Amino acid sequence: MSEIKIENVTKRFGNFVAVDDVSLTVKDREFMVLLGPSGCGKTTLLRAVAGLGMADEGRICIGDQDITYLPPRERNISMVFQSYAIFPHMTVFDNIAFGLKMNKVGEKETKERVHQAAELLHIEQLLDRYPDKMSGGQRQRVAVARAIAMESRVLLMDEPLSNLDALLRLEMRAELKRLLRELKATTIYVTHDQIEALSMGDRIAVMKEGAIHQVDEPSAVYDRPANQFVGSFIGNPPMNFLTGEVNRENGEVAVTVGDFMLRPEPKMQSALREYVDDKIVLGIRAENMEALTTPADDAVKVRVIVVEPLGSQNLLTVNIGDDIVKVATHPTFPVMPDGDIWLRFPADKIRWIDRESQRVLYV
Amino acid sequence: MSTLTERTTPVEAAPEVKALHRQMQRRQRRSRLTTYLVGILIALWILVPIFFIASMALTTQATVRAYPKGVLPFIPFSLDTMRFFLNSYGILPGIRNSIIVALLTLALSTIIAAPAGYALSRYIFPGRDFFRLSILAVRAFPIVILAIPLAVVFISIGMFDTIYSLALMHTALTLPTAVLVIGSVFASIPYELEEAAQVFGCTPVQAFRHVVLPLVLPGIAAAAIFTFVMSWNEVFAASVLTIQNRTLPAQVLATLSYSSEPYQFAGGFFMMVPSLIFIFIIRRYLFNMWGQVSK
Amino acid sequence: MNNRRRWTPYLLLLPTVLFLALFFLYPMVQALKLSVWSENTILALKDEADRESGSAGRLPRGTTVTILDREGNLIPPDESDTTAFLTERWFYVRGDSVEGETIEGWTSDSRIRVREEAADGTPLMGTVRRVLGSGADPLTRLYTEADDDSPLAGQMEANTEVSIVDLAILEVWYQVQGTVDDETVTGWAPSRFIQAFEGGDQGRVDRGNAGEFTMDHIRRMVQNRFFWPALRTTVLLMVIIIPIQFVLAIIMALVIQARLRGNNWLLYIFAIPLGVSDLAVGIVWFAIFTQNGFLNSILDGIGLIAGPRPYLTASTRGWIIFAIVLAEVWRATSIVMIIVVSGLQAISQEVLEAAELFGATLWQRVRHVILPLLKPSLQVALILRTILALQVFAVVVALSGGDIVTVLANETYRQYVELRNPNLAAAYAGLILVMSMVSAMIYLRLVRTQEEAGL
Repeated sequence: MSEIKIENVTKRFGNFVAVDDVSLTVKDREFMVLLGPSGCGKTTLLRAVAGLGMADEGRICIGDQDITYLPPRERNISMVFQSYAIFPHMTVFDNIAFGLKMNKVGEKETKERVHQAAELLHIEQLLDRYPDKMSGGQRQRVAVARAIAMESRVLLMDEPLSNLDALLRLEMRAELKRLLRELKATTIYVTHDQIEALSMGDRIAVMKEGAIHQVDEPSAVYDRPANQFVGSFIGNPPMNFLTGEVNRENGEVAVTVGDFMLRPEPKMQSALREYVDDKIVLGIRAENMEALTTPADDAVKVRVIVVEPLGSQNLLTVNIGDDIVKVATHPTFPVMPDGDIWLRFPADKIRWIDRESQRVLYV
Repeated sequence: MSTLTERTTPVEAAPEVKALHRQMQRRQRRSRLTTYLVGILIALWILVPIFFIASMALTTQATVRAYPKGVLPFIPFSLDTMRFFLNSYGILPGIRNSIIVALLTLALSTIIAAPAGYALSRYIFPGRDFFRLSILAVRAFPIVILAIPLAVVFISIGMFDTIYSLALMHTALTLPTAVLVIGSVFASIPYELEEAAQVFGCTPVQAFRHVVLPLVLPGIAAAAIFTFVMSWNEVFAASVLTIQNRTLPAQVLATLSYSSEPYQFAGGFFMMVPSLIFIFIIRRYLFNMWGQVSK
Repeated sequence: MNNRRRWTPYLLLLPTVLFLALFFLYPMVQALKLSVWSENTILALKDEADRESGSAGRLPRGTTVTILDREGNLIPPDESDTTAFLTERWFYVRGDSVEGETIEGWTSDSRIRVREEAADGTPLMGTVRRVLGSGADPLTRLYTEADDDSPLAGQMEANTEVSIVDLAILEVWYQVQGTVDDETVTGWAPSRFIQAFEGGDQGRVDRGNAGEFTMDHIRRMVQNRFFWPALRTTVLLMVIIIPIQFVLAIIMALVIQARLRGNNWLLYIFAIPLGVSDLAVGIVWFAIFTQNGFLNSILDGIGLIAGPRPYLTASTRGWIIFAIVLAEVWRATSIVMIIVVSGLQAISQEVLEAAELFGATLWQRVRHVILPLLKPSLQVALILRTILALQVFAVVVALSGGDIVTVLANETYRQYVELRNPNLAAAYAGLILVMSMVSAMIYLRLVRTQEEAGL
């Protein structure tokens, strides 16, 4: 049982609070992704778990063991570093065997485990080579092999794919996912790439400015962001945000955006009632709006500024009132820049966001 | 359901874990303190002798000769010893010669080394590694010893006992260092900058002058200063190659065995001062100068 | 364009290469040559009084010789300085012969009295001298060439008026006979190499015109009473100083790497000795160790000794060595530190963290990661330090006066500057060069075999 329990962890560098009272539980054998923009504290948090930078406050447990202040080697963890941190003076074999040797694993077993790890990553033919002449992708594989050869209960990964070029990254992403599903180690995976996070993680913890903003399954983080930041950080293009005004009409709540009126879902009525005569932010994803070439009652007429054909879809940039909105359409959707189209907003796809707290309202 | 981290009542670590943490912090503090202490001790080991010689050079001659020497330095403070030294036979011409030789060395080695450094950092060509290694090997060599055969050669062509021949010798001494340092300085300026300048309409020469030169000038100046210091300090070749036109160290060395202590101490201090200043100026470049020997 | 670019780097390197060839490679070869070569010790004799003729044998400098004959010989045109050796002048004259015809020919200037000269001293007119001595031929002979072995052009009576058409300056050659290794050698040589004794039929070989390979200088160097002490001290200093320097330099590097506050100042202070002249360092430590210096003042002040003790005298050689060690450690540790620091900085922080994370203790990290990665730097520093240690000079002179304790570089200096013996000085210089090369090669070999052994 190797659940990782991070409780109220704070880490400061001088006056800068890198991690601010963060709590997070990674379940046994779960693949947890720490996602956030650079400088959000995700790597700092990972290093606190690794023991490479001890937490100032709080507690970190693996299973039943409090490891907050244990030196890294006593934590039974392994890690893949961003720069791979391959030992340049050792062969691939010695690199993979390093941790085993340090932990006094027998020679025969070391050999077995090294070969096993190398096989899993398809680098058996490299075992006698030195890393200085190897490509980035090969080094990456060595770094992963070294980590999994440890067969430790916890695997930490610090942006392992960020130094690879795009194509290789795509390939390794799938391969790592397969590998980690087989290994069933409890994994914390740090990345700033939301696609990686969405495609690989069992759950995603979204971080910003030293705090965790949402922990959830990828689909939930995408579809039901906890706040405006999560919505804007995840998804490509990010969630659109429009400012609307909440009115009461015939006893029901309606929201006007520019000169267009939207009717929220019935279940949101009570939540939105508090905002009557106040402003509110609407969030909606580009692919959730319906674009029409002809006018419709429940559609708003907008002017198209830019058309970006992306192959699988066309991305339109349109003006609604003062806001700029991205709309995804089928690639065959006939539209020209400066043309007019009509947009329909499905009520169940609209997220309502409090302007002050920036939190998304759910009932 | 999505959640936002709530501020909850903080979880306290178990007492024994906290104790461990405190112990670790204590150990860290102690090790930092030890490091400081060691650093300061070594700094003292370096500074105290300099302080001794400075306090001897900046006091009266009588104080210099006195025993036991006072614990308090610079008392009485006086330029008497310094003045005595500077007025001794051969010192002022020696200083003049030293400066001329050092400046000539600086100019020669910079002018010769700059193109070579540029070539090393900007071009890939057959023989590049061989050249680099040769330069490294030459630098490690006891070049100064070569003053002996050079003296014989200089005598035969009538160039013996001139500060120019000494400057040539010193240039041979400083050239390898200058090439490597200037090479590493150029290498730190990305070639893309030059290309960018050319794209925006510069000729290669203009690109070099307007973009590269301003960026490398401090580094090259540091290399030049270092060659000055090397030449200023050099005593063996200077003593071998000159008789009448001695440089300062050669003059001090030649008269060392029968000179008085005030003369010696003031001389030692005087020779040291430019180095102290120059090393301070170029301290940022020290690693450029020596760091790359191992690569 | 393409072509130009290909040659550009070589053009840029050319000045450096030329300069180093001239002032590094050439003197290095010269040093080695000077130490095993004696210049002008052998006189090569010729079959005839002619530069082009075959070799008749060799006489070493100082051989006593019998002068059998003398002859004038044309001086090669590239030698303009005729004052340095014995010469004779011959005139090409025109005048009436014994038979009354007008003849022309060469005769030695000793046969002609010059009567008229041009403004620049060129002789124009003269008369044939009277030949003195009873048995002598009263006539003066003219030759077709400026050589009394050449065919006769005619003979003249004394006091015949002649016009001097041309003149030639000839070097006197001697036919000499000498004995070397019980073998008698006879042959011709220019008079400049022979010192003729009073009377003119005896002389000795004053200097040679050829050099020879010799172990003389090296033998004399080894037999010199300062040689073994100098070699011993140099090696001793190396063996003591270098380990101390490496330990100290690594400690200094670790202090710098700890990145404490004030790190920049520490680095500057640690680097100061890098720029200080070795002579100045010698003087600084002399100020400490001299009899009325700081060491005695302090020891006296705290009551450890009563009255000053001498340290730098012939009877306290140990103290001198100790002072030299301190001074050299003070002076030359900085450069090792700089090399070690930049070696440490080249080790990626993540690599060290990886080692820690995969279970290596501090000692294991040093043993398995830091030291192997630092090895190239340490190796370079070691070579550099060894070679520099072979050159230690001014510090020793300042602390010992260069007599009581001496080192190889000091002997080089003394042989050249004080004893004016370039060959012996070159022998010392050559020894230092060879020792430098050998130690560099040993290090490289050691390192390579270590790598092969998988260490």
